[in-house]
Amino acid sequence: MELFSNLALGFGVALTPTNLLMCLIGALVGTLVGVLPGIGTIATVAMLLPITFGLPPVGALIMLAGIYYGAQYGGSTTSILVNIPGEASSVVTALDGFQMAKQGRAGPALAIAAIGSFFAGCVATVLIAVLGAPLTKLALAFGPAEYFSLMVLGLIFAVVLAKGSVLKAIAMIVLGLLLSMVGSDIETGASRMAFNIPELADGLGFATVAMGVFGFAEIIRNLDAGAEMDRELVQQKVTGLMPTMKDLKDSTPAILRGTALGSILGILPGGGAVIASFAAYTLEKKLAKDPSRFGRGAIEGVAAPESANNAAAQTSFIPLLTLGIPPNAVMALMVGAMTIHGIVPGPQVMQKQPELVWGMIASMWIGNLMLIIINLPLVGIWVRLLRVPYRLMFPSIVIFCAIGIYSVNNAPVDVILAGVFGLVGYWLIKHDFEPAPLLLGMVLGPLMEENLRRALLISRGDWSVFITRPLSAVLMAIAASLLVLAILPTLRKKRDEVFVESEN
Amino acid sequence: MAETMGQTAAATRNTKVALGIFILALTPQLFEFIWSWGTLFGLGSGRGPAQVLISHGAALTAGAPGAAMSFGGEAKKALASEVTLALIYSYPLFAVAILTLFIRIRSAQDYIGGVVMIALALFALWASSDLQGMRGFSFGAGTAPRMFGVLMLLLSAGIALSGLLVDGPDLAHYSWRGPLFVMLSILFFAIAIRSLGLVVTSFASFMIAATGSHETKWLEAAIMGACLTAGCALLFPYVLGLPMPMLPRFMIQ
Repeated sequence: MELFSNLALGFGVALTPTNLLMCLIGALVGTLVGVLPGIGTIATVAMLLPITFGLPPVGALIMLAGIYYGAQYGGSTTSILVNIPGEASSVVTALDGFQMAKQGRAGPALAIAAIGSFFAGCVATVLIAVLGAPLTKLALAFGPAEYFSLMVLGLIFAVVLAKGSVLKAIAMIVLGLLLSMVGSDIETGASRMAFNIPELADGLGFATVAMGVFGFAEIIRNLDAGAEMDRELVQQKVTGLMPTMKDLKDSTPAILRGTALGSILGILPGGGAVIASFAAYTLEKKLAKDPSRFGRGAIEGVAAPESANNAAAQTSFIPLLTLGIPPNAVMALMVGAMTIHGIVPGPQVMQKQPELVWGMIASMWIGNLMLIIINLPLVGIWVRLLRVPYRLMFPSIVIFCAIGIYSVNNAPVDVILAGVFGLVGYWLIKHDFEPAPLLLGMVLGPLMEENLRRALLISRGDWSVFITRPLSAVLMAIAASLLVLAILPTLRKKRDEVFVESEN
Repeated sequence: MAETMGQTAAATRNTKVALGIFILALTPQLFEFIWSWGTLFGLGSGRGPAQVLISHGAALTAGAPGAAMSFGGEAKKALASEVTLALIYSYPLFAVAILTLFIRIRSAQDYIGGVVMIALALFALWASSDLQGMRGFSFGAGTAPRMFGVLMLLLSAGIALSGLLVDGPDLAHYSWRGPLFVMLSILFFAIAIRSLGLVVTSFASFMIAATGSHETKWLEAAIMGACLTAGCALLFPYVLGLPMPMLPRFMIQ
């Protein structure tokens, strides 16, 4: 019954007027970001980090969390209505959602997406509440070796789930690890790779790099993609939101499966909303009796990924809150927000500041409720926003990003650094390197190095400690087998390509 | 006939790539050289351009081969950072550049991507070469950077190699207008925010960034820029309470 008292405490915190307002602002900003293509969750959270300076810690975290799951809602709206996924996690929703809209069934599609998201949000909230305490206990049994192995597992997960070349994804992670080492060494205080530049002495700011690689680089890339994206809107009234009984019957199992899959992928380090929605769509297609319906307006193709991305967006808070390990880039920024307020994420937060953790968890449920209420009636307004042409939007985003970075430290150099990382990000995109693993590596870098050092110090320099301690060995074994699984298909594919070539 | 033409085209492209890698191999030296001109005008501190030119030139031509030759004899002798830069960073990349002339690149995207990553790894290895290594069981400051540097070197070599073995996409098309004006806008913002204040800076930066798209309509952009500036001027200092200069310094005084 500890669970209920915890939840009661949480709702007590979340239902105060200030926190309700924060939750609403977060949900609205999130929806806005989700609707607008060309600006993602990562850039927004990075942009809003400095704003949270003046807020109480609970309010700040509630707002930032709202942006993350709010964006999952917003993304689905534009995917369905205009075939423009505002967010990477709703790319697959567009496949069937837009087809439904073309058939005049936009209303049911939106409703199912909202219901699925809401259901997934509720389940995920309960899951966080249930799993929080036991995982925290488990976390206390973790030594440095286990932490290190867990982070390796997380990074491998990120590699496996990233699209494209495995080699490139690992290289990006290692580059991120190297970037995280710029600045002074935690233990000896020696200045590393800083070239006597005072601005680098404290290391590269994570928000600065994130803003450059995800904010500026995205803008530059959109500009050369022929600037004005095709924004022919479906000019139709959304009528009849209510799905039919058949719709409900078809989508219920899809929502359940999507929620389960999303929850699991969210908890695992390296996972997140984007992967969850892709995986859920693929699963539905595999399980369907008639897979050819997919891509032609199958309601399961909307229900499953939308439930999955929302579930994952929320359960990805679990590793952060219990183990102190951010499983993806957005969570890494949440770590930044926590550190601003002097909170070190990890098992001790749950015990020392229960009102913070449980308040945030409760706010997620409230936020989901708000989203379902505000989103369905406001659909028209969100869609109208899409008519703002990109030629006006991108300079505004540039200015907002610049002001945002400047205000973190009041340092103009940070703005220039972000610009440089924008160019780096543009180059990475052009060479088919994914920037997300880089950010994850950069976030986990200091934690990994610290635990690696400690583990080896305790074991007196014996590297076998990672495979002799049972928990650590299990984690390492999973990581190794995942890596093998990831490499095998690539090898096979490459071989196939070679065969194709030789036949010609 | 067509075959020979194809070969010449490939050869000229390889020469271009090799030249690019050659320049990449000298980038840190060139960067310090350009930077050093600032000291002439009293900007920043450090060595003057003449000193930089002489020390790097000496390291690249004579110092490093000498050090490499005497490597067996007195390995532990402390080397000047210019010499280690030439040894660890520039020479391996020279070798890659020369190698590039004699190979068939099957995926320029992967090959060049891999080589640039190799350069980054080598640079990181050089940058952490003066840090302390292992002391007994405990890591020194330089242990982890070197470890990951070597790992990255291996991985990026793998990427470059895959660009030689597997067919893949050629280099993507880069445009200059968007990146240039967005970067100019960011740079202007960074330089001007302290002295010119939020109002002037954000409007000017907006207009510079807007130049980056050829679809920009000037009147429309100016109106939007003015609205955005007004919004920012209210939002950041007043609503959010972030300390930020509003107006140019000379207007306040």
